[in-house]
Parts: sequence; structure tokens; C-alpha cells
Amino acid sequence: MNAQFSGSEVWTEKYRPKKFEEVVGQEEVVKRVKSLVNSINIPHLLFAGPAGTGKSTLALIVVRELFGASWRENYLELNASDERGIDVIRQKVKDFARTKALGNVPFKVIFLDEADALTREAQQALRRTMENYTSTCRFVLSCNYSSKILDPIQSRCVVFRFKLLEKKDIKIIVDRIAAGEGLTITPDGFSALYEASEGDCRRVINLLQATSSISLNITPDLLNTIVSQAKPSDIRIVLDYALAGDFQSSRDKLLDIMLKESISGQDVIKAIQKDIWNLPIENEIKVKLAEKVGEVEFRLVEGSDEFIQLEALLASFILAGQGK
Amino acid sequence: MKPETWCEKYRASCFADVRGQDLAIERVKLFLRQFPAKRALILHGPPGVGKTSLAYALASEMDLEVFELNASDLRDKEKIEQILGPASMQRSLFKQGKIILVDEVDGISTRDRGGLPELLGIMEITSFPMLITANDIWQKKFNLLRTKSELVQLKELDYKTILDVLKNISIKEGCQINNDVLVSIAIRSRGDIRAAINDLQTLATTKDELIVKDLGERNKELSIFNALQHIFKTAKLDTKMVDIFDDVNMDIDEIFLWVEENIPLEYKGEELAKAFDALAKADVFKGRIYRQQHWRFMVYEYFFLGAGVAGAKKFNKTGWTTYRKPTRILKIWLQNQRAEKKKSICQKYALYSHIGSRQAMREFMLLKIIFNNPKIRDELRLTEDEIAYLDKGI
Repeated sequence: MNAQFSGSEVWTEKYRPKKFEEVVGQEEVVKRVKSLVNSINIPHLLFAGPAGTGKSTLALIVVRELFGASWRENYLELNASDERGIDVIRQKVKDFARTKALGNVPFKVIFLDEADALTREAQQALRRTMENYTSTCRFVLSCNYSSKILDPIQSRCVVFRFKLLEKKDIKIIVDRIAAGEGLTITPDGFSALYEASEGDCRRVINLLQATSSISLNITPDLLNTIVSQAKPSDIRIVLDYALAGDFQSSRDKLLDIMLKESISGQDVIKAIQKDIWNLPIENEIKVKLAEKVGEVEFRLVEGSDEFIQLEALLASFILAGQGK
Repeated sequence: MKPETWCEKYRASCFADVRGQDLAIERVKLFLRQFPAKRALILHGPPGVGKTSLAYALASEMDLEVFELNASDLRDKEKIEQILGPASMQRSLFKQGKIILVDEVDGISTRDRGGLPELLGIMEITSFPMLITANDIWQKKFNLLRTKSELVQLKELDYKTILDVLKNISIKEGCQINNDVLVSIAIRSRGDIRAAINDLQTLATTKDELIVKDLGERNKELSIFNALQHIFKTAKLDTKMVDIFDDVNMDIDEIFLWVEENIPLEYKGEELAKAFDALAKADVFKGRIYRQQHWRFMVYEYFFLGAGVAGAKKFNKTGWTTYRKPTRILKIWLQNQRAEKKKSICQKYALYSHIGSRQAMREFMLLKIIFNNPKIRDELRLTEDEIAYLDKGI
């Protein structure tokens, strides 16, 4: 994955901005980060904001600006939710930081994505690691919510908040791609695209590329076909089976969805919690169920067996279906 | 020679042959002497302790004719009237007296077409002693039957008694079986002499000592079946339920799966919810053991898994349930095999486009469409296996 970046067929890469000037939206953030980079000696950075708003992109621009052509040798990208525990992260940081930076910048840059996936204990360990290597490394952390990052870490970083991209920003990006790829997009086609993306730029581009693989003419119908095809299975089916009293089908479907779509128990419980209020049952029962759901979520966080706990929950949905 | 099971061949024909039940024998004799103070006697106890044998031994010692009815006869009101009614009034032509043996009364149904009420009716008028055998006489449906009958419990046989019997039989049959093997059959039978004799016969006919291992396997499943049956069928909590799975020679995690798989086969509605609630609580304590390294929590884990699940019902369950092997782990394994490719594709893509591979897994349904592009497949350096996975469209 070397210099063919610009020639990539994956549009999220092909159209990823490589300079500050190319970034759309986040004007304030870009301006301030740029001035920090110009002074060469950057502090640790914390990028907070929703998915697909440019956090990784900006981190990549920072290292390109700092190191020029040799940015790859001086840059380590880690994903907190993928690495198995803080010890692995520390080892990788250690190995990376052992050698001195090349060129005239006195430090290397480590980008730790999804840092809010780390537990409190892991974040404590991360804090010490950041301190130990501060002379040779700068950290750029990214997260969805800065509130999930320990205060001592936040106080060591300059915090930047990324906003959801506005419709006009998305329009600029979509037009850029449409011109490059020869797409025609009707105004309501664009509206449908924007609706489906929820302001997530990555998703916009992926939806666009998936749709264009069928036709270069992007219409709302075509787009909605793609969206519904890519939608994860609805946990509602599981609940409907349970409310109808069919426990066996309900649990089979649950296991099926969890396995085939790599959904964790906590994702399932979140979906159930959101759906309770839309179920065709009495309000009092909804309240009772909400309490159960909360208890199950607590047990899952504690580390109980996901499937057994969810099955127990489904069994109470059976009762709810009988009006109990 | 007529094929005959050793169980039949060596069935006790006199009191001396009935092993390990001396007290019960005395009480049965007393019952006969005092007849008709009570008109029926119930012999109850676990399978294979000699209930039916004791009844036949009694008949032969006292020179009585046995009139036997099994559970399936009892289900039919007409048949009972036809056979039991007249039989209980008539005197035997050849012998002085008769006993009426109602074997395995557990199978009797409370609903469909009577049976139990009819049996009670006949007990009122019979002029011959009735012997009734049962595994579990404490079921609610037997309340009336219990109060009208004499109860005699047969104890589980200890392994030494069983070993004795096995040795005798193997000498008589002339099979040379290592003493250790006999001991292990005796122990594994858990007081069930019928199972022990069956195992011995199997071993002797196949002449293959390896089969002892298989017997062990069967017994392992037998014991989880027995434990499940006790938990799922009996409503009244007993001390045995508290640590019943302690005696099952199986890893606790595997037992969890067995219980989980089979709860819906026995319980519906409120019972189902209660049983899963208990199972979930057992799981919570299991987690606490690991996290806190506090092993005493295991007491509660076993309690909820056994007594908790059993206590979910108000009434006993009747009928036979074929418990199923757990399938969850198998499904997970199969899915993981399939998901292996998806995972590796996502890892490649994640590295390439600066996101986490979990994130890529979540977006896979959309990305899959993009991966149809052959140039992108090249770019990501997908292997042939991975491409085949994408093309299968799973």
C-alpha cells in the first residue's frame, strides 16, 4: 500500500485530502492544527468527534506535513478496539519509539484511533506510556466522545472537537467525486444520499461507490436499494418472535444475527433498549422490561455470558407478549 | 438357544436372591400378614434396585400367582375394568391366591382416559393384595394413592452388592473379565443393578475391553440425562437438586449448555422466564468466581443451576422428554469457520483505509458491494479463497 494511494480504486482513499487546503469543513480545527504543525514542535493531540468527520484524515495530513516523503517511517497507526489489550499497544509503542526519528523533526507520531474503547485501567497505563516516550513521540488520539477519556490524558493533550459535516460540505465532496468518476446525480438523489449518510463522510463515499457499481446515474431509488441491502438485520424480528410466544425461533434468530453479522451482545442490548418503546405492549410492561434490559446490560458489562443473559431477557419478552 | 437378557435370566426368584433390601423384604411380609388392613403396597425407589424382582420373589416364596398390569394397560379404563375387575374377584385355579402387580405406575396419566381413578376404585374392592411399583411416588397426582397404601422404599444398592452380583454372574456365564473392569462397571452403574448387568453382558458378548470406555461415555450422558430429568420433572425441591450437577461427570460449562438447550423443551411461558432467570443468575455467579477468584460463589452457581431451574415450575412434569445435545458451540464454531475469510478481508481493508477492523466488519454489507470491483480485489491483495468467499455472496 505504497505510493499508489492516489491511484487507489477505493474512493475513500482516492479522494482523501492530502493537504490542509483540501479538507472540507472543520475550518476552525484545520486552522489551529495547521498553525501548530507550522511551529514543528507539536503537543499531543486529541481529536474528538463523530465517525466520518475527518479525524484520521487530519492526522495523516499532520504527518505528511511534518515528515514529507518519509512520513511512513515516522508514523504508527493503532486501533484501540482491535489491539488485544493495552500491553500489546505498549509493546508496539516501545518498539516503534526505540529508533530515532529521521529528518529534522525530533519526534515520531503515533495515531491511536478509537482511544475511547480503552478501559479506565488501560487509559492509566496509556498515560504513563505517553509520559515515558514524550521526548521521542507525539500521540494523536482519536475518539467519539472526549468525556470517555481520562482527565489526566485530556490535560496532556490539545483537544479538538470535530463537528458533523453540514449538507453543503457533503455536497462539495460529492461533486468532487462525481466530476472525477463521471457520475450524474439528481438533486433528490443527493438528498437521499445525504439522508442515508447521517453526516458521515466515509459512509457517503462508500454508498456512492457501491451505488455507482450498478449505474453511473445515481437516483434515489437505486440508492435506497443499496441502503436496504446493506442494512444489518433487524433485532426486531427476534423480539417479534418472542412476543408471539415462539421462544425457539426467537433464540435461533438471535444467535444467527449475532454470529453472521458479528454483532456483540452489547450492540444487541442497545438495539433492544431503543426498540422497547415501539413495541405493541402496555406501557407498564415496557417499564418492567426496561428495568430488565438495564440489568442485563449491566451484567454484560460485568462480563457475563452474552447469550445466556440475552436468552433470559427473551424469556421475559415471552411473558410481556402474554400481557404479564 | 433362545436369546435372553441376563437381567431376565438372573432375576431373583426368592427372597435370598433379592440383594441388599432386607428391611424392605420384612415389611412386605408384614403387609401380607396384615392384609387387608391396607389393600395395596407401593414399592418405590430409583430404577434398577429390584422393585419388580422383589414382587416376583414374594409371589414365589408365598406360592401366589402374579397378575401383572403395566402402565399402558392402566391408561385404558375399559381394559382395566375388563381384566383387573374380574381378576380381582376370581380365585386362581391352581394356586391358593394371587397378587396383582401394577408395575411402573409413574407412567399412568392423570388426564386422558382415567386410569388412576380406576386403579383407586379397584383398590377399594380387591380381595387380593396389590403391589405397585414406582420410581417417584411423591408426585402430586399420587396423593390419594399414597394415603391408601403402605409405602416401602427400596434403597439404592451400594457398589459392593452390585459387584457381588456381577462376579456371580460372570462365574456362571464363564466369562473371564478382569476384576478392575467389574469394579468400574459396578461403580459407574450408580446403584442401578439392571444397568450394571446389561453392561456386563455387552462386555462379555463383544469381548472387547475397549468398550469399557464407551460404557463410560454412555454413562456420562446417562447421568446428565438423569440429572436433567430430575431437575425438569420434579416440582418439589429436594436437597439432591442443590448439588445434583456435582455428581455429573462433566465440565460445568458444558452442563450450562445442556440446561440452556433443554429448558424450552420442558418449560413454557412463566416457567420458561423463571428458569432462564435462574440460569442467568447462575451465570452471574460464574462470572464473579472468575473475576474475584472467590471460589465459594460456586455454591450459588450450582444452586441456581439445579434448584433454581427446578423451582421454576409449580407442578411435576410427566411424560418422557428426549433431551437434546447442546448445539450453540457447534453453531459458533461453524460460523467462525465461515467468518474466517470475512475477518481476513476486513483486516486487509481496515489497514488500507485507516479504520478499525471491527468497524470494517460492521460495514461489511456495504463494503461487499464495493469489493465486487476486480481492481479493488487486486489492490487489497485478496487471496483466491477470500475472493471465492465474496463471490459466494454469503
